[in-house]
Amino acid sequence: MDSVTGTTASFYKGSLTQMASLRESAGRLQTQIATGEKLERGSDDPVAAARLRSLAREGRLAEIDNANADSVSQSLTSASQALDDMTQIMLRARDLALVGANAATGAEAREALAVEIDELRASLFDFANLTDSTRQALFGGEGADAAYAQDANGAITYVGTASAASVEIGRGISLERGVTGPAAFEFEAGGVTTDAFVFLADLSSALRSNTGDPAATARDSLAGFDAAIDNLGRSQTVLGSRTAWLDAVQFSQVQLSEARTEEEGELGGVDLAETISELQQVLNVLEASQLSFVRLTSLSLFDAL
Amino acid sequence: MSSALINIGATGAKAARIALEVTAQNIANAETEGYVRRRANVEEMAATGSASGSGTAFNGVRYVGITRPENEFLQAEARRSGSSLARADAELAGLKAAESAVEQSGLYNGLVELEAAMARLESDPLDPALRANALEQGRVLAGSFGIASEAVEAASRSTLFQAETGVSEVNRLSAQLAKLNESLLRSDTTSSGHSSLLDQRDVILRDLSEYMGISAEFTPTGAANVRVNDGSGAALVSGDTAATLTLGQNSDGSLAFAVGGNVVSPGAGSLAGHSSALAAQADLRVELDNLASSVITSFNASQANGTAQDGSAGQPFFAGSGAGDIALALISGDKIATAPAGAPAQSVDVSNLQSLRAVLANNGPASQADALLFDVSSNVRSRSITRDALSTLASNAQGALATATEVDLEAEAANLVRYQQAFQASGRVMQIAGEIFETILGIR
Repeated sequence: MDSVTGTTASFYKGSLTQMASLRESAGRLQTQIATGEKLERGSDDPVAAARLRSLAREGRLAEIDNANADSVSQSLTSASQALDDMTQIMLRARDLALVGANAATGAEAREALAVEIDELRASLFDFANLTDSTRQALFGGEGADAAYAQDANGAITYVGTASAASVEIGRGISLERGVTGPAAFEFEAGGVTTDAFVFLADLSSALRSNTGDPAATARDSLAGFDAAIDNLGRSQTVLGSRTAWLDAVQFSQVQLSEARTEEEGELGGVDLAETISELQQVLNVLEASQLSFVRLTSLSLFDAL
Repeated sequence: MSSALINIGATGAKAARIALEVTAQNIANAETEGYVRRRANVEEMAATGSASGSGTAFNGVRYVGITRPENEFLQAEARRSGSSLARADAELAGLKAAESAVEQSGLYNGLVELEAAMARLESDPLDPALRANALEQGRVLAGSFGIASEAVEAASRSTLFQAETGVSEVNRLSAQLAKLNESLLRSDTTSSGHSSLLDQRDVILRDLSEYMGISAEFTPTGAANVRVNDGSGAALVSGDTAATLTLGQNSDGSLAFAVGGNVVSPGAGSLAGHSSALAAQADLRVELDNLASSVITSFNASQANGTAQDGSAGQPFFAGSGAGDIALALISGDKIATAPAGAPAQSVDVSNLQSLRAVLANNGPASQADALLFDVSSNVRSRSITRDALSTLASNAQGALATATEVDLEAEAANLVRYQQAFQASGRVMQIAGEIFETILGIR
């Protein structure tokens, strides 16, 4: 570093400084190899350090987004499964209504049909109040624990909120984690909007009643069943397409995270082959300068006197 | 005639002996701090109108004193470059301490983790574990601010302490120099004692220049008058009186110096470096406070706009106003207001949480912290580059000065041989004078 080494003291000082600086760079390379990180502190390369910071932040938030997306995906699958089961229930109820629609069916048999329809309605109620892994009601929107509540008279009403809870799943995309009860279970029967619980309750009480024409009511209800089942199917399609969308977003997140890892490696990672050969070079130079220092210092005019 | 010859030989032998002594002294002091190599100065002794009638008489050689290679320009250059390097070193050390303080406090990570905990809460806002986690990350962040603020504070204290030590060193050195000037004014310029006083003077001037930029003027006898910065600056030492350097601190954190009551601002030296480092550290504290206050504001504003898990209105998340006193104010995780205002108890509506996340994501505290870290580290980076350049300049100047003034053992070894031969030759001259005398006596 210093070319002017005219006198004895400055020769020693200069040699020592040079060897110390070589030793320091060897130490720095050794630390890089040991830690696998090129930057010890931000000032080594402020721009790369800032980029690494923002990559680390993006990576951390992407991890969370992924966890959130997994949880949404689970909710969507659970809701879809529940809708599937509920469709089966409605199909069974429709079969019963078909039996009830036969004018030959007697009062006793209709009573048995009504009892089974009540049972189906009860299990529909249970399905509608299913919760996901986060203990939130699948069909309750953003509301409290349950989606539907049953009062003392047996009437089942929706107690959730009007819209479903949405969760951010990354890159600024929010996804609703389910469908609300009304969206899944409300449909039009005979020009009137009703929901599956009211519909089934009406049907069962009509089958039980001795007045009017229960068979005709049951016959009329078949169109309502079709609408209800159609609606459940639609909701399932919505959930399915959301799951597909979620998968697409998660896939792009994986690609992004690969790109991030690669950039992190380029900016702050140590290329072992390069660093080790650099270290070897520094050590060689250090050894050579130590050797030549010893040679030079052993040369003294005083030996010749 | 033969007596003249013997005298000439004697003076030559004496001069060679003195030169040998000086050489021995140089060799002995090769490693002495501040020692400048000496040369014995001799001159010819000749007289006109001699007894031999030839018009010339040779009287040999005379030792006239010690000379010491003076190189005022190289000395001043070495001092000036040393001053600049000391300033850069001191400033860099202060900035590096500040950089470590902010980097190692984990402030940035703390912000990211809190943001992540809030994001995680979004998927399951009623989970007590996630709520507790978010709250604890808030506590960690507040702690990180405390650590960063305290560490920058400690760095400032240590820098100020070094500056105080520097000022008392400057006062000690200038008092020493004043005393030395007193001796120099009275000493014989050719004596070897004078040379060693000059060595001491140069060491003191070099040490002084480490602390502050100075300019020195010398009287014919070598006494130094020292001024701060350049020839027009306030006098620090003039003759045998030294003015006192005093230290104060400005409101922006930088240091205020005065010499004998006159305000001075040293342009170089470690004191100037400490002053700018202190100003930078004070700036950093302000930035940290701003960052902390923006964290406090955004979290508390979000809390104020929302509803806690039990349906009550959100309470402040953080207490305090700056990096030094920021603390977690919420007492439990279920008080985090994830739901918007007016939401019922146990609501899983996370729109308030989402708006907080939007604030955090777009030019929020994390990017402020990033900018702060970037500022600090790029400051350190550019200062290191300057420092390296100055270090090369300073070591070149030191090398040039060393070549001009320090002892070179090879040269001294050669001198040793040379003067020994001169001594032997003079002895031979005396021997020949004796032989001539004998020859004359032997004529019969």
